[in-house]
Amino acid sequence: MNNELAYWITLAHLPKIKTSIKNEIIVRLFEQNKTIIDFFNLTEEDWKNKFNLSDNDISIIKSGIEDLPNNSFLVESLLEQGYKILPITSPEYSSLLKKNLGKSYAPPILYTKGNLQILKEDTIAIVGSRKANEFSLLFTDNIAKKASENYKVVVSGFAKGVDKQALDSALKYKGHSIIVLPQGITTFKSGFKKYYKQIIEGDVLVLSTFHPKAVWSVQLAMARNPIIYGLAKEIYVAESSSKGGTWSGVIDGLRKKRIIYVRKPDINEKNANILLIQKGAKPVDITGNIIEYMSIDEEVTSIVSEQKSNYYEIESKILDLLKKGIYTSKKIVEILKIDWNPRKVTNFLKNQKDVVTINKKPLKFTHISRQISPKQQSLFDLNTGPKT
Amino acid sequence: MNRFEAEKELKKIFGFEDFYDEQWETIERLFAGKRVLLIEKTGFGKSLCYQFPATQFDGITVVFSPLIALMRDQVKALNEKGISASYINSEQSKDENNQIIQKALQGKVKILYIAPERQENIEWIEATRKMKLSMVVIDEAHTISVWGHDFRPAFRRIINLVKLLPQDFPVLATTATATERVQKDIEKQISGNITTIRGSLIRENFELYVIKVSSEDEKLIWLAKNLSKLEGTGIIYTGTRVNTEIYSKWFEFLGINTTEYNAGLDAESRKEIENGLMSNKWKAVISTNALGMGIDKSDIRFIIHTQIPASPIHYYQEIGRAGRDGKPAKLILFYNNTKDEKGIEEDYKLPKAFIDGGRPSLKNYQKVINVLKQEPLGERQIMKATNLKQTQVRVIKADLIEQGIIKEVLYGRSKKHEYQFDAPELNTKSFEELRKQKLKELNSMIEYVNLTTSRMKFLCDYLGDNTLHSYLNCDNTNLSRYTVSIKDKYLEKLKEFRETFFPVLEVESKNSKIVNGIAASYYGVSSVGAAIHRSKYENGGDFPDFLLRLTLKAFRKHYGNEKFDYIIYVPPTESGDLVKNFAEKLSKVFKIPISHNLVKISETKPQKVFQNGYLKRDNVSGKFEYKNLDEIAGKSVILFDDIFDSGATIKEIGSLLTKYGVEKIAPLVIARTVGGDI
Repeated sequence: MNNELAYWITLAHLPKIKTSIKNEIIVRLFEQNKTIIDFFNLTEEDWKNKFNLSDNDISIIKSGIEDLPNNSFLVESLLEQGYKILPITSPEYSSLLKKNLGKSYAPPILYTKGNLQILKEDTIAIVGSRKANEFSLLFTDNIAKKASENYKVVVSGFAKGVDKQALDSALKYKGHSIIVLPQGITTFKSGFKKYYKQIIEGDVLVLSTFHPKAVWSVQLAMARNPIIYGLAKEIYVAESSSKGGTWSGVIDGLRKKRIIYVRKPDINEKNANILLIQKGAKPVDITGNIIEYMSIDEEVTSIVSEQKSNYYEIESKILDLLKKGIYTSKKIVEILKIDWNPRKVTNFLKNQKDVVTINKKPLKFTHISRQISPKQQSLFDLNTGPKT
Repeated sequence: MNRFEAEKELKKIFGFEDFYDEQWETIERLFAGKRVLLIEKTGFGKSLCYQFPATQFDGITVVFSPLIALMRDQVKALNEKGISASYINSEQSKDENNQIIQKALQGKVKILYIAPERQENIEWIEATRKMKLSMVVIDEAHTISVWGHDFRPAFRRIINLVKLLPQDFPVLATTATATERVQKDIEKQISGNITTIRGSLIRENFELYVIKVSSEDEKLIWLAKNLSKLEGTGIIYTGTRVNTEIYSKWFEFLGINTTEYNAGLDAESRKEIENGLMSNKWKAVISTNALGMGIDKSDIRFIIHTQIPASPIHYYQEIGRAGRDGKPAKLILFYNNTKDEKGIEEDYKLPKAFIDGGRPSLKNYQKVINVLKQEPLGERQIMKATNLKQTQVRVIKADLIEQGIIKEVLYGRSKKHEYQFDAPELNTKSFEELRKQKLKELNSMIEYVNLTTSRMKFLCDYLGDNTLHSYLNCDNTNLSRYTVSIKDKYLEKLKEFRETFFPVLEVESKNSKIVNGIAASYYGVSSVGAAIHRSKYENGGDFPDFLLRLTLKAFRKHYGNEKFDYIIYVPPTESGDLVKNFAEKLSKVFKIPISHNLVKISETKPQKVFQNGYLKRDNVSGKFEYKNLDEIAGKSVILFDDIFDSGATIKEIGSLLTKYGVEKIAPLVIARTVGGDI
């Protein structure tokens, strides 16, 4: 397996090729019982015909081949330092992550350090603002405690505020934890030093999906959020504003029909927790207990703009429609009888990660899930769901 | 490219007419992106098998070689042919190495020689991400096998690297010495459809002799009588560093032109000696086995071993450099077969001790594991935390890494060792297996010594060369034996030598006024050590007078009639006034006033408690003071102590006195220990 790793790294970090295309390649290889080495040894014809790759993709792959020896040196150095590299086909790769993110977003490769068994355990994520208030931190501590007592792993993103609290609390209560890095794994030296004992004792797994040498950046921090959600079976939100990483992550999660628990805020708090609850997140109290019936105070309701809420309803209607077929923007307006003009629909759809644009005139759109044939999904359906 | 075309290119670039069949067979496979293990004797032309394809490939060929001398020679030769070749190793400064890396990144280097240890170097690792690589070569490939005779842990990483390289990436491994077991091991490790090409190992111009003696004196005397009579120039291998010093001083005493070489010398001196060897500057270079592998000198006429090597493979490898021009070369091996009271032959003891002491105790392995369970540590930090010698720490580290118990991790620019979460238990079975194997090999070496049949046939058989030859040219076949006859003249000379040979203390450094000092004797190799021990640790009273006479002699020989203003001595830790009393006697004889003003300002522990130089240095750092500064400013002083080990104390006092304005500090001790760490 190790002899494939340089090939895996090369594929995973090919620039300007979407994850969905990379995973499509992997799925086809998987189905044909071929290895990734076989793929790189194919002819251009095969890439074109058997993998439906564009000329542009092929030229990117060809320049990637030149990096293979260099990536061999990189892999050697990583393995020598005790990092473990898990391709998506590896039995150690988190099956929950594969299931949650699907072919479109599941990273083809994970870089890790620490106890891999943690990837097989039940997980929860606790997310929230970098500048969380006292309630949020207390909530985080409560949730982490409960999780640790129930042998659930706490997944967090190593940011300030809620992330840090989640990690420290999990360790305080002798639980297991996954740190999802917003950077390449070799650039996390201070963290490795700080959590050395927890790592070697098997309580912490450090995980990154980025190039091992990539340094921290806002983009990587944003791109890291879906990985946190993807690794978690349950998601707890301590505190969210109406924009930023936590917000978009939860919205994305709700759209994917995930169950998300949001802390019911105190009446005087200034955050968007209530908004998230209105969008379908489940309210929980400060100890994480589900609040079955919640009346929303007049005061709070007034913050919520009717128009905006309506806006999101339309968005999800459109996306649901696309799951059923391929449509032009005009057609979408007609079918759904919404008061958007087709241009607005086009603009909206172009910015959606889950939407595939079919570049023929007139432009057509469809949902990415439609592109996966049941058979192709088999790699992603394998061993799905965490062990119970 | 077919053979005809290739040979046209060969003529143009290298000036040779054609390839040997085995060379072409190798090159053809490399062109096809295959992996080859090439086992051929020294002088066959193994290097051409990668140098030629390297000139034809688009990118860089990286050659991993453990031999710095060889890198230097080959790069020089290639550059003369107009092929851009460079090397990166520890002999060059960081800047020089980085410059070469830059050149390589720009595609201006065709062949890059590199020490395997570099695979641990961060600049190199960074650079490998961007270079255009076309082939990897592993020179001296037997070093990748633990069953080989010179296993190097750093090569383990090269193997891992090769396993990760793309399948159609050409890889060549070469060696002159691989038994079948080593060959199989290399094949297994490199994996991926490797072809082995093996040639005959017979060296027909070798004249092999064994001289059995009954004492160390007999070796010295035989050499005194015969060294000058041997044709040409050559190398004398002694088993230990101390012996390189003793033998070369002996020849110096006799007026025979030799020099001394060991791994303890700095890069500059080593280079100078290697160059001198090339230009026949000396009759012989006296060396540990650090010299010779990879020296590209075609007319080494003799190689003499004063101690047996660890195995017949070692021996074949070490004599391999002689007579590359095909003219007769004499290979002489001494063996002292006097038995001690337990019936063990004298010269069996040293290599046996190496095998037995090859592995630190399990307790020490556990010590290292325990400190690494607490925090990630660098090598020095491990030494400090465990109080183990550097050599021991290195062996332990290599074994623990090999077994996956710890890993070496880059923390920015520094390397630290991390215990692993899923670390297995320490497996000591493999140590024992390896020890048994080494013992078996040593016994084969004894078999070679006692052989009554062809010596070359024995070596070839041992190395798995089964081709048929008529084997002649040794003292068991057609050559007459060398014998030792002792004459009084030489015995007297030897006695005289023993009384006038004193070990030097190398302590000079740029920022200190301290000069290289002198010891009256080695601690371990004479009656001196025993006498000191009696006085120091067995309440034997003052140091005996014969030590005083010997110390005076050493002083006169080294410092002549130089004038000194004071004699000062190192204040004691636990041996009371022994050193002070001795210094007072010296003061009377020298007629130099003694000063008692060098004192300790805080307690130190006896230096022998500490196993490595870092801790010894810490133990004495800032612990001394001089009470009357006016007395010594601008003066020359003798600094006396009883035993010199790591030199940490003497050096510490040297820099202190330098700070106080002392003009010259001249160390003098009774005995120097052997094999002090760092």
